[in-house]
Amino acid sequence: MKNSKILGAVMAEVLLLLVCLMIRPDFFSISYQPSTGMLYGNIIDILNRSSEITIIAMGMTLIIALGGTDLSVGALVAVAGAVALKLLRWDVLEYNTPGDYTVCNFFWVLVLPLVVCTLMGMFNGFLVAKGGMQPIIATLILMVCGRGVAQILTDGKQFTTGYAPFKVIGQGAFLWLPVPIIITVVVVAFMAWFTRKTAFGTFVEAVGINRSASRLSGINAAMIIFIAFAITGLLSGISGLIYSSRIMSNDSNNAGLNYEMDAILAVVIGGTSMTGGKFSLAGTVIGSILIRTIVTLVYYFGIVSEATMAFKALIIAVVIVLQSEPVRKYFAKRKGAAKS
Amino acid sequence: MNNILEMKQIEIEFPGVKALDKVDFSLRAGEVHSLLGENGAGKSTLIKCLTGVNKMDSGEILLDGNEIRPQDPGHAMTLGISTVFQEINLCPNLSVAENIFVGRQPMKHRQINWREINRRAEELLSGFGLEIDVTRPLSYYSTAIQQMVSIARAVDVQAKILILDEPTSSLDTGEVQLLFRVMRELKAKGMGIIFITHFLDQVYEISDRMTILRNGHLVGTYTVEELDRVSLVTMMIGKDFSGMFDMDRAEAAENSQAELEVSHIGVAGKVEDFSLTIKKGELVGFAGLLGSGRTETAEMLFGAVPSSRGSMKLEGHDVKIDSPGEALNNRMAFCPEDRKRDGIIGDLSIRENIILALQARRGFMKPLSLAEQNELADKYISLLGIATPDAEKKIGELSGGNQQKVILARWMATEPAVLILDEPTRGIDIGAKAEIQKLMLKMCADGTSVIFISSELDEIIRCSGKVVVMRDRKKVAELAGRECTQQKILEIIAGAA
Repeated sequence: MKNSKILGAVMAEVLLLLVCLMIRPDFFSISYQPSTGMLYGNIIDILNRSSEITIIAMGMTLIIALGGTDLSVGALVAVAGAVALKLLRWDVLEYNTPGDYTVCNFFWVLVLPLVVCTLMGMFNGFLVAKGGMQPIIATLILMVCGRGVAQILTDGKQFTTGYAPFKVIGQGAFLWLPVPIIITVVVVAFMAWFTRKTAFGTFVEAVGINRSASRLSGINAAMIIFIAFAITGLLSGISGLIYSSRIMSNDSNNAGLNYEMDAILAVVIGGTSMTGGKFSLAGTVIGSILIRTIVTLVYYFGIVSEATMAFKALIIAVVIVLQSEPVRKYFAKRKGAAKS
Repeated sequence: MNNILEMKQIEIEFPGVKALDKVDFSLRAGEVHSLLGENGAGKSTLIKCLTGVNKMDSGEILLDGNEIRPQDPGHAMTLGISTVFQEINLCPNLSVAENIFVGRQPMKHRQINWREINRRAEELLSGFGLEIDVTRPLSYYSTAIQQMVSIARAVDVQAKILILDEPTSSLDTGEVQLLFRVMRELKAKGMGIIFITHFLDQVYEISDRMTILRNGHLVGTYTVEELDRVSLVTMMIGKDFSGMFDMDRAEAAENSQAELEVSHIGVAGKVEDFSLTIKKGELVGFAGLLGSGRTETAEMLFGAVPSSRGSMKLEGHDVKIDSPGEALNNRMAFCPEDRKRDGIIGDLSIRENIILALQARRGFMKPLSLAEQNELADKYISLLGIATPDAEKKIGELSGGNQQKVILARWMATEPAVLILDEPTRGIDIGAKAEIQKLMLKMCADGTSVIFISSELDEIIRCSGKVVVMRDRKKVAELAGRECTQQKILEIIAGAA
């Protein structure tokens, strides 16, 4: 009963993969490429390309379970990229071609973007938890001005870099797998531990279901909300590093564009209700992979790229309708009738 | 005098409860008729029946001698029945005039005639003795004026009957007088007014007659001259049980030291200057009508609405409690009055609901293991006799009494020094009620100090070693030992002593 919501997403994913298999019998084949030390294949590619959304959606799951949304995640992806590229290539006048160098200690290239994004997440959290603003409004602020901040940081320029260690984040291999997959696994494992092996997950659910009762039970609801937003900021930063490492550049306009929508979708497809309450990280992971599978499917179907969005919307609409309360009740009733 | 409204043998049944059982009610033209009763007595159900929100199962409503069946509030309004609710249901960002005429604006050349709206609004309000700028947004004015505007709106739709549902609960004394002046004017014009309030002074000041309901039954209709305050309160609260005071318990508490001492705490507009000393293992009952400040006091002690002055001492140490979390850390516990809104986390399991407060005190980084959680849950399920197949059932699926037991278990698990129970026995069946009372006494015997709030006087007298009586947001008396008689408490509540 508990997993019935996730079950819908899993079934939809399996169905999509089967369709892919019908179109391309070699869809599941995986090969090893010695030159890069990496495994190649469609499945690997889907997992790899879904990393950015999966990572962000881990935080988004908590926010939605608390009854809110975070619209700023896409903008934070751009901010992380801008900060990283600015540090990699500080002096534009001195170095006018991108190359295998960094002007700043690589440690800071990794840490500062994450710090900036975490602070921005905290800013969101402060507005919501202490300022009592509606999350959708509070995070709209950074959604709009985050990209502006990214532009200012890079003087409106698009920097590129050739620094090899930075390239590893988005394009490297570890244990024959693309590094983004490894990062995702680590993030998901940490979040699973943090929400289920500490009491944080229970508190998030309690606050999301009934904030007043949670407060009167002694839970510091404001602190829980603040932490959830801070975590989401940090995760957006990680996602931003992966994104900018893939393109070895910053792109204040397009980096993380519409990520907030994809992340929210992944959470909702995964069975967490927008009204808050019980959440499922596993469901969110499946939701994120599902979204990426749709994009791959569109490609294999030979559908023109202009129609991708419409096609994506169609499949998501079907999944969400199948999960909706009336439909699930209808099926439960039919199941009950069949039994008796 | 002729009756403009007659409600005969009204019956309404909700799942499991009879909300109204053959209730008669009548209203004359040009009278203020108070409708009285404690929570759950059926006052609002009766009003909702009259305004078409609830459908009656049987009975009839006669308006000016003709039978009517209001379908919804809009329909009731066209019939001439207008309601002003406690919560002002106007739009704060629209102007006063717009609020009065929204939905029925006078038109001129197919356009809204603003001049006419403002002129008529001014005229209407000046009839109430209110000279205000009607083009200002409603939120610019005080609650009392907003209340008047909402009455003006109700009256302007040619109402014959005006229902005022607790209009005075957020008004100060001067504002109440302003409202009463308007009520008297409307009365003089021949309107019938149904007035619902918890303030007895106001009942006696403004009404001509009163009807008392209790548990969905009609207790009676009287003129104000017929019924003194003590009899009124007795009728509202009911006297089904003549309580005997338990001397042993009072003496046991006498000898122990003070657990909680509060002096002169208060929150502006909610509770005025409250002081109390509770001894270890003592059970203090809070008596008083709804709105007397008993719940507000409990919320203040627990830090849900932090006190703005005074001091608190727990076991001799000064403490400052400004949040429920702080109260929890000081080993206090609080079962709130509104179980559904402030107590249960509906979608979480019984187990999760039980461990919640204890876990909150430990912080989320020090989780109770699943084994510890199950142990606690199973312990309290069997100790309190919670009727459930297992600890993983959602608390929202339990009956009221069992939900209350789970909330009690949540606080018992924290082993509190001071436990505050706000109406723990309301809305639950007799069996569960007795069990909860027994449990409360057992906790006292084990050394927990308990504050027990209840509307049912016999329950308070039977269980408490000391009774605090509250009236009009103030503590008006503290009775102990033989002084705790029903008669005495009733007199104090009624303000006749």
